[in-house]
Amino acid sequence: MTRLGFVLDSGSCIGCHACTVACKAEHDVPLGVNRTWVKYVETGTFPETDRHFSVMRCNHCDDAPCITICPTGALFRADNGVVDFDDADCIGCKACMNACPYDAIYINPQTGTAHKCNFCNHRIADGLQPSCVIVCPTNAIRVGDLDDPDSEIARLHASDQGLVRSPEQQTRPKVIYAGADPRSLDPLASAIASDGLIWAETTADHPTPTPVALEASPPPDGDTARTTYTTGHSHPWGGAVAAYLVTKAVAAGVMLVASLLVILGHGDNQSTVSVLPPMVAGAFLVLTGVLLVSDLKQPGRFHYLLTRGSRTSWLVKGAYVLAGFASCCAAWWIAGLTDAGGVLPVLLVPTVPLALGTAGYTAFLFAQCEGRDLWQGRMLLPVLLVQAVVAGGGAYTVLDLFVHLPEVKVVHLSLLFGLAANFALVVIEVVGRHTRHVTMAIAELTRGTQRSRFGAWVVANLAACLLVAPNLGEVPSAVGGLAALLGLFAYEDAYLRAGQSVPLS
Amino acid sequence: MLDHYPPEEAWDDHAALDPTAWPRRVERRFRLVPTTCFNCEANCGLLAWVDKNTGQVAKFEGNPVHPASRGRNCAKGPATLNQVDDPERILHPLKRVGKRGEGLWERIGWDQVLDEVGGRIGTALREDRGHEVMYHVGRPGDDSYMERVLHAWGIDGHNSHTNVCSSGARVGYATWMGFDRPSADFANAKVIFLISSHLEAGHYFNPHAQRIMEGQRGGATVICVDPRLSNTASQADHWLAPWPGTEAFMLLAMARLLLEAGTWDREFVRQWVNWETFLAETRPDLEPTFDNLERALLDHYADYTPGEAARICGLDEQVIRDVTAAVGNGLGGLASHTWRASSAGNLGGWQVARCLQFLVVLTGSVGTEGGTSANGWNKFIPVTPLAPAPQGHWNDLTWPIEYPLSHHEMSILLPHFLKSGRGRIDTYFTRVYNPVWTNPDGFTWLEVLRDPELVGCHVALTPTWNESAWFADYVLPMGLSSERHDLASYETHAGRWVGFRQPVLRRHGELEGHHFERTYEANPGEVWEEEEFWIDLSWRIDPDGSLGIRQKFESQKKPGTPLTIDEYYAMLFEGSVPGLPEAAAADGLTPLEYMRRKGAFALPGNQYRPYDRPVPDGQLVGTECGEDGVFRSPGTAGLYKDLTEIDGHMPFIGDGSPAVEVNGQARVGFPTPSKKLELYSETTRDWGWPEYALPTFIRSQVHWEDLDFAAGERILVPTFRIPTLIHTRSGNSKWLNEISHRHPLWIHPTDADELGIAESGLVRITTRIGWFVISAWRTEGIRPGVVAASHHMGRWRLDEKTGRSWGAGQAVIDRTADGQWRIRREDTQAPYESADDDTSLIWWSDAGVHQNLAFPVQPDPVSGMHCWLQRVTVGPAADTDVYGDVVVDTEASHAVFEEWLSAARPGPGPGGLRRPLWFARPVKPLATAYRYPN
Repeated sequence: MTRLGFVLDSGSCIGCHACTVACKAEHDVPLGVNRTWVKYVETGTFPETDRHFSVMRCNHCDDAPCITICPTGALFRADNGVVDFDDADCIGCKACMNACPYDAIYINPQTGTAHKCNFCNHRIADGLQPSCVIVCPTNAIRVGDLDDPDSEIARLHASDQGLVRSPEQQTRPKVIYAGADPRSLDPLASAIASDGLIWAETTADHPTPTPVALEASPPPDGDTARTTYTTGHSHPWGGAVAAYLVTKAVAAGVMLVASLLVILGHGDNQSTVSVLPPMVAGAFLVLTGVLLVSDLKQPGRFHYLLTRGSRTSWLVKGAYVLAGFASCCAAWWIAGLTDAGGVLPVLLVPTVPLALGTAGYTAFLFAQCEGRDLWQGRMLLPVLLVQAVVAGGGAYTVLDLFVHLPEVKVVHLSLLFGLAANFALVVIEVVGRHTRHVTMAIAELTRGTQRSRFGAWVVANLAACLLVAPNLGEVPSAVGGLAALLGLFAYEDAYLRAGQSVPLS
Repeated sequence: MLDHYPPEEAWDDHAALDPTAWPRRVERRFRLVPTTCFNCEANCGLLAWVDKNTGQVAKFEGNPVHPASRGRNCAKGPATLNQVDDPERILHPLKRVGKRGEGLWERIGWDQVLDEVGGRIGTALREDRGHEVMYHVGRPGDDSYMERVLHAWGIDGHNSHTNVCSSGARVGYATWMGFDRPSADFANAKVIFLISSHLEAGHYFNPHAQRIMEGQRGGATVICVDPRLSNTASQADHWLAPWPGTEAFMLLAMARLLLEAGTWDREFVRQWVNWETFLAETRPDLEPTFDNLERALLDHYADYTPGEAARICGLDEQVIRDVTAAVGNGLGGLASHTWRASSAGNLGGWQVARCLQFLVVLTGSVGTEGGTSANGWNKFIPVTPLAPAPQGHWNDLTWPIEYPLSHHEMSILLPHFLKSGRGRIDTYFTRVYNPVWTNPDGFTWLEVLRDPELVGCHVALTPTWNESAWFADYVLPMGLSSERHDLASYETHAGRWVGFRQPVLRRHGELEGHHFERTYEANPGEVWEEEEFWIDLSWRIDPDGSLGIRQKFESQKKPGTPLTIDEYYAMLFEGSVPGLPEAAAADGLTPLEYMRRKGAFALPGNQYRPYDRPVPDGQLVGTECGEDGVFRSPGTAGLYKDLTEIDGHMPFIGDGSPAVEVNGQARVGFPTPSKKLELYSETTRDWGWPEYALPTFIRSQVHWEDLDFAAGERILVPTFRIPTLIHTRSGNSKWLNEISHRHPLWIHPTDADELGIAESGLVRITTRIGWFVISAWRTEGIRPGVVAASHHMGRWRLDEKTGRSWGAGQAVIDRTADGQWRIRREDTQAPYESADDDTSLIWWSDAGVHQNLAFPVQPDPVSGMHCWLQRVTVGPAADTDVYGDVVVDTEASHAVFEEWLSAARPGPGPGGLRRPLWFARPVKPLATAYRYPN
């Protein structure tokens, strides 16, 4: 077999950017995105100053998280070990961008599909070296076969001289650095100073640990090197995904509360248990779908999730869970309409697990995001589940304005339990001991760029508790429920952004 | 096994898979046409991939058969595609219709251009005003074609960019060895000593970088001298950052340490250095024996102790000793280079090159494998076919009597000379030259270019808009690297080659069976190439042949018709490139077809130590051997009584003496008057500068001990290059500008704190003639006391919609109440809609600061080199200052010009000459033109 990889020889690299431009020429890469780029990192004080170059790109991981998460198989493993992609299959979901711990993938603004270094596999097929290899003035980029034990790359890989980026992600990269300063490979070891880069502007997309993040988790040796050149990498998921987390939590939560009411014997209450809740859940599921599809860069291809679905991707599994849950809601609704409330206890059996799945599958999806260590925490699944309770409780308190709830106290208690549990789980996460990456993400969440969103969540939580707990009446309780829902959105948005704030390159 | 390039035999029809269709296997067919890059001066090989379906170039890769670049390129090679596809490039000849600089143009045809411009020049020549025609070129990209044109026109009309570039280093090298440039054999070196940034900058970036890293991987120690941490310095084994302007002192201290330690090549120096002259001139008290040389040198350089060098240069003494020890370990293998850098920065910068070469000489590394050769041994300029006789005129605007040793034209002084009434220009061509932007004191250029009394007609030959073209009467689009013919050779390594640039779409079209009369028929729009332009223009200058010009551009095969490019290069390749006809015949090709197919040719033969080769007796017939062992030929610059005896073309360098006796045998030697390496330069002595006859430290205009640091004075380095850009030529590459578009002021944190400059705050830099506003960038990568900003950025345009693709912000130029010029940004870089989708994706806004406007001319009185380093006052910007502001008083700049002019020591020199006959000079005139009129 063949397993192609690159040796990137930082000892010979002169930082000339020829590889960047040759790649742009070969693949017609638009402005603003890059398949390969050169990072400059500076260390030391005058006259012992030094500048280190490292070429950054896809690592063609043997255990590639982008392939695992890709819902349509657009990212695939070629026979020669290369991680390649097929534009025609890509729906532009951007999950791969979060799965990649190397900032290697971008959405091409002209095609709306995910692109990255594909080893110039079209050239390999023609028997030609990749374009970055042939252009390099100093032969600092070299192709090798890791399955050939005599090759330079295999020997380097076997020695302690060959470094890889982010080995802790255990992706088994096939890009091996020779002569590199470890600080130029570790995205947390250097930062962009406030006066920017050596000869390019700095945007919000340029990866760097912020001062807040560095204060929360200073480098072990106390010295942060300076990033003086790198390229921007956008944070793929924003408000739409946060909203999707909330809408499906509402859908799941409403049905969970309805299930509780069924268990409490209110299965025949059409308005509040058997008809309205599945309608609300259905509406929020539709909203969830709309949000999901609208966030695709190729929305017209959303059906590929089902027609070309990859079994490894939790995006696909999640779609099945959502579909299953939607079917339960529909059945529930029909049962309600046909006044067959008696079947609801039976329907609970599939509905409750699927509601929990709807709320919680995202934890498994996020666990596939190797680039977002914050999201991979063990706390995410319980948080999502209690958030569903919050969402369900919150939604029901709002519904109480329009219909008469049979067990207002139970609903309120559910909501208060959810709020408290969510708060407790977040506190446990925040005060816990974590890797530098997660510590930085949490610092961004609580006191960095996301602090106002995070603060909004805290305030909204408190307001919800104060308005709901004393049982002040329908309206204050409904306002409290709404506050809980809005707070939830603020939290999800902050959490998503904080998770993506930690530099990967 | 993967190949780097498709095999040569497939270049005419290569099938490749479409990368955008992949993983579907969609085949596209290409023709691979070799040409050469026209971004920096290295002229690396390119292969244009012409898509047979679209007939357009799809991409540029390297040319694997190019001996210098070996198939590899820097970022600027593949970026050529952007320049070709630039949506705002100039595609048709334009003629001014409003006032000069007003920006109103009409499209005209080439025929009209030729008639009008040719008519003007013809009239000037007939009225004996040939000296009013000037061709001013930046990077020529060609070796000898234009010399032929100017000789044919019989005018001394050549002007160059060299004294903003390399005049300093050239004089330093020429006074040692005649040849004005080094050619370091980096790949085989033991020690690589760079006072330059050759891993990122020119002369010759990519070919040199390949070989420097090859040398380092092979065990060579790399030493880099630079006040800032260049990429080169960062990869060097030793980075030395002496005070700018003290490099020569450091080098002389190193020379002294080598002498002290006995780590120098005595035998080489004994044979090949004019040490007898040194002893005779400086130590008449000593016996003129070689054994006394070491003592005399140690005495002469007694003050250059490592301790004093450490103090003057601001270096650690031990570092100086360590680096010298490394140099001493590399006897015979010291590959060194300085180009621009301090030799272009300081008053006396030429002595930096001279002192560096001193180390090369002492270590016996001249022309050795792994050592430092002369450019002339590794650069091959073919003899021009049908070469006309040289002109009998001398142009005092370019070669003024004040600067008899200036290595090239005093181009930066041209506007001041015009303003001073020394002459006027009737027809002024600028080509690959943007003086308003590139030269110091651009507002004075602007004043002169706007004045039709001083410049009658300005013809800008340029593929894209630039600041100077805006002030032209004709803007004539000339081809980019893949749209023109040129022939060039450079001393990139130990070996000789010629590289052939060709218009690839014309070549492709011809192979597809089309016929083109002129290259512009195949190029985009009506973009022409200069070589055909000059032929056709010469016909219009002299339509009836009465001036004797037309005949020199007439076909030999078809008399009465213009010479064609094919005919010209067929003659050249058949008769002027040794080994090429044989190599072509072996492939069954004509030499021209061979070059069209391969794009380059490596001349056979080893060029190490050519000076040591014996000269056969037959070549000495008729010569006279002097007491100094030099064989001189009568009727040459080496041996004459009257200038009229020297007929026709003089050698480009040297006095034409064929040999010198060394070790009892006539040998080739060096093209200096002594035919040896000149430790003591009698030429320097005889032409007004006896105190600089030896390698010497000259205290510069930015010497740190003269600065008032407390008052905010600092040294500004405004010239450094970065690897992705090249002067103003690379402006219209989106990929290059995306990578690099800002040039903040490098400042050490201690300086920033002391001067009260906030992090990323605005800085006002005040020079002697004005000031500019730039942003600060704190870095440990610069010597405290020195600030620096790369020169590439700061492009501007005066029109809202013209030239947006060249990295330029829209600006307004006006005059302040007190008559000072001011330029201020109106707009930054911004996305815009065009035929190229990428222009809407521009994500950066910075367009930089045009620093050069605020620099006065500072010509070195010996070399004529503009001394780029500025003594400036650095401080926080005023509240009213806007980033990018430049304000200049051109009266003050004229006063500075007069001050520096007064430091020159005017000729004529010995024999009443304007300049030493043996010195190199572009478009060398007849010997009689050297006589200065009484």
